Amino acid sequence: MSEMIQSLIWGTLYYATPLTLAAMGGVLSEKAGVVNIALEGFILSGAFTGVCAADITSQYGAVISGIAGVIAAIVVGALMGLLHAFLTQKTRMDHVVSGLGINLLASGATQYLYLHVYPQGLTVTGIPRWMFLLAAAILPFAVQWLLIRTHWGLKLRAVGESPEGAFMAGVSALPVRIAAVTLSGVLAALGGAYLSLADDHNFSTDVSAGKGYIALAAVIFGKWNPLGATGGALFFGFFYALQTELQIRHIEANFLGISWTNSFLLDMLPYVMTIVALASVIGRAVPPASLGKEEPAE
Amino acid sequence: MTADTATNASDNEAKKALLRAVLRPIGAVSLGLLVVALFIGLSGYNVPQVFSSLFIGATGLQLAPFKVDPFPLAQSLAQTAPLLFTGAAIAFALRAGLFNIGAQGQMVVGAVAAAVVGIWNPTLFGPVHIALCLLAGGLGGGLLGAVAGLLKAYRHVHEVLSTIMLNYIAADAADYLVTHGLKERHSMAPQTVKIAQAAYLHPFVSGSGLNAGLLVAIAAAVGASLIVKYTSLGFRIRTVGESHDAATAAGYNVPWVLTVTMFISGFLAGLAGAVLVLGLEHRYIKDMTGEYGFDGISVALLGGASSVGVTVAALFFGGLTSGAGYMSLQTNVPDSIAIVVQAVVVLFAGARAVPWRGRRFARANTLLFTGVTGREEPPVE
Repeated sequence: MSEMIQSLIWGTLYYATPLTLAAMGGVLSEKAGVVNIALEGFILSGAFTGVCAADITSQYGAVISGIAGVIAAIVVGALMGLLHAFLTQKTRMDHVVSGLGINLLASGATQYLYLHVYPQGLTVTGIPRWMFLLAAAILPFAVQWLLIRTHWGLKLRAVGESPEGAFMAGVSALPVRIAAVTLSGVLAALGGAYLSLADDHNFSTDVSAGKGYIALAAVIFGKWNPLGATGGALFFGFFYALQTELQIRHIEANFLGISWTNSFLLDMLPYVMTIVALASVIGRAVPPASLGKEEPAE
Repeated sequence: MTADTATNASDNEAKKALLRAVLRPIGAVSLGLLVVALFIGLSGYNVPQVFSSLFIGATGLQLAPFKVDPFPLAQSLAQTAPLLFTGAAIAFALRAGLFNIGAQGQMVVGAVAAAVVGIWNPTLFGPVHIALCLLAGGLGGGLLGAVAGLLKAYRHVHEVLSTIMLNYIAADAADYLVTHGLKERHSMAPQTVKIAQAAYLHPFVSGSGLNAGLLVAIAAAVGASLIVKYTSLGFRIRTVGESHDAATAAGYNVPWVLTVTMFISGFLAGLAGAVLVLGLEHRYIKDMTGEYGFDGISVALLGGASSVGVTVAALFFGGLTSGAGYMSLQTNVPDSIAIVVQAVVVLFAGARAVPWRGRRFARANTLLFTGVTGREEPPVE
C-alpha cells in the first residue's frame, strides 16, 4: 500500500511537471490579456527541437547535449511565442485562430521534419527528470513574485485588466504583451523539452497529446493565479497517475453497472471539474478583463 | 459594425469586398502550397513530381499520358463529406459570433448515437432507418453543442474553453461506452456490433467511401446558410453576432439565440459522425471519427460565411488529405505536409489585416470576417 502511495505521488509529480511549466506560460500570457491556445504548439515544438539539438550535439557528451537541447527548446519556444504575439497584437488576428494556426503549424512541421530527418526514430541520453521537477517547483513562486512584487508584473496585470487604463497611466500594452507571450512560449517549450528529453528520451509525433489544452484548463482551474494553476496541474497530474496506477495493479471497482476505476472515466473527470469551475457560482473563475480582446485603437 | 455603415457602403466598396472575399482564400491556399513547396524543396525532393502526384492522388486526372481514374476522385469526395458537415457547423456558429471548437466532440457523440439507433431495429424500411440514424446523430451532436451554448448564455463560460473540455469528455465517454456497454461481445476490438444492413449508405464507386453522405452534407450546408440568410432566426443569429447589445435592444432573447445556434451547429457536426458510421464503418469503432471536427475549423475559416465558400473549401481540404496519402506512397514525402498547408491557410485566412496596409484595410476585413469573433470590434471612426 505504501509502495502504491509512493508511486502515486511520484507519478503525480512527473505528470504535473510539464503541465506546470506550460501553465505558468499560460498564466503570464493570459494575465496580460492574450488567450493562449497555442501552448499545445509551443510544447510540441519545444519537444521536437529539444531532442533534435540533443541528438546533433550527442557526440560532445550527455551534459552538453542536454544543455543544447534545453537551449534549442527555449529559442524555438521564444520564436513561436513571438509569432503568436505578432499575429494577435500586430495583425489583430483573433487570439484563438492564431493559437489554432500555430498548433497546426507545430503539428505539421514537427511531424514532417521528424519523419523526414529521423525515419528510423532516435534516442538521446536526455536530462534527468528531477531537474525539470525542481524548475517546476520553483517556477510558480517565481511567477507569483514576478506578478505581485515587481513593477513589470504590475504593468502586466494592468494591461490584462484594462489596456486603456494602463495606457492612461503611461504603460503601453504592446511591449508588455509581446514579452509575456514570448516568455509563455519559452516556458511551454520547456514543458515540451521535459516530455522528449526527460520523459521519453525520444520524440514521437503528437507527443504533447493535448497537454497544452490541459495546462490551459489548469490555468482556469487555478483562476489565473500561478499557485492556483500549479494546484490545478497537480490535480490533473494526480488523475493521470491514478489511472496508470489502477491499470497496472488491475484494481477495479464496479458500482451501479459502471466501472468507476475505468481509465476513460477517470480521464474525463478533470475536464468535468474544469467546466464546473468555469460555470459555478461559488468560487467562479473570472478571467482577466481584457482577455482576448483587441488592442484599443491608439 | 453597425447596419448603418453597411448600407452606406458604396457599390464600389461592395465590389472590392467581394473581390477580396474571392482573392483572399486563393491567396491563402497559394501561400500554403508555396510554403510546402519550400519545405519539400529544401528537403531535396523533386517538387514538381511531388505536386503532380498530389494532384493525381486528389483528382485521378493524369495529364501525360491522359488518364482518368474515378477512384481517387471518389476518395477525395468521400473525405469532403465529413469536412463539409463540420465546416458548415463551425461557419454557422461563427455567424452568431460563436467559435465552435467542439465540432470534434459533437461529431463523436453523433457517431455513437447513430450507431445505437442503427443497431436498435433491424426491420425498418431502409430510408426510414437511415433518416432515423441521421436524426439521432444530429440530435446527439446538437445536444452537446447546446450544453456549450447554455454555458455561454447563462454562465458566461467562453465557448472555446467549454468546447475544448467537452471534446475530451465526449471522446472519453464514447471510449468508455464502446469498451463496455456498447461493445461487441466476443470481440477484442473496441467497437459496436454492425448496424442493420438496411441503414447502410452504399458507395457510389465500389471500394471507395463516396456515398449519399456527400449529398446530405451539401444539403445540410445549403440549408444552414438558408437559415442564416432568410429566416427570422437567421436574422437574430446575425444580429447577435454583430452585437449582443443591439440584439438585446431589439428585444431578442440573446441567451436563447446562442443556445439554438450551438444546437444547430452541433447538429451539423453530429451528422458528420452519423454519415461516417452509416457509410464507412457500419459500426462505431473507437477513434474512427479522426480529426474532421478540428479540420472543419480550417474549412470554415477558408470558406467564409457562404455555403459555396465552405463547399469549395471542404473540396480543397478533402482533396488535399486524400491526395497527400497517395503522394506519400508514391514519393515518400510525409503526408503531414497537408497539415502544414492547413496551418498556413488558417494563419493567413484568419488574419484580419496585414499590418502594413493600415487601418482602413483592417476595417474592410472586419466587415468580411464578421463573425470570426463576435467580440468587441475596434471603435469605428
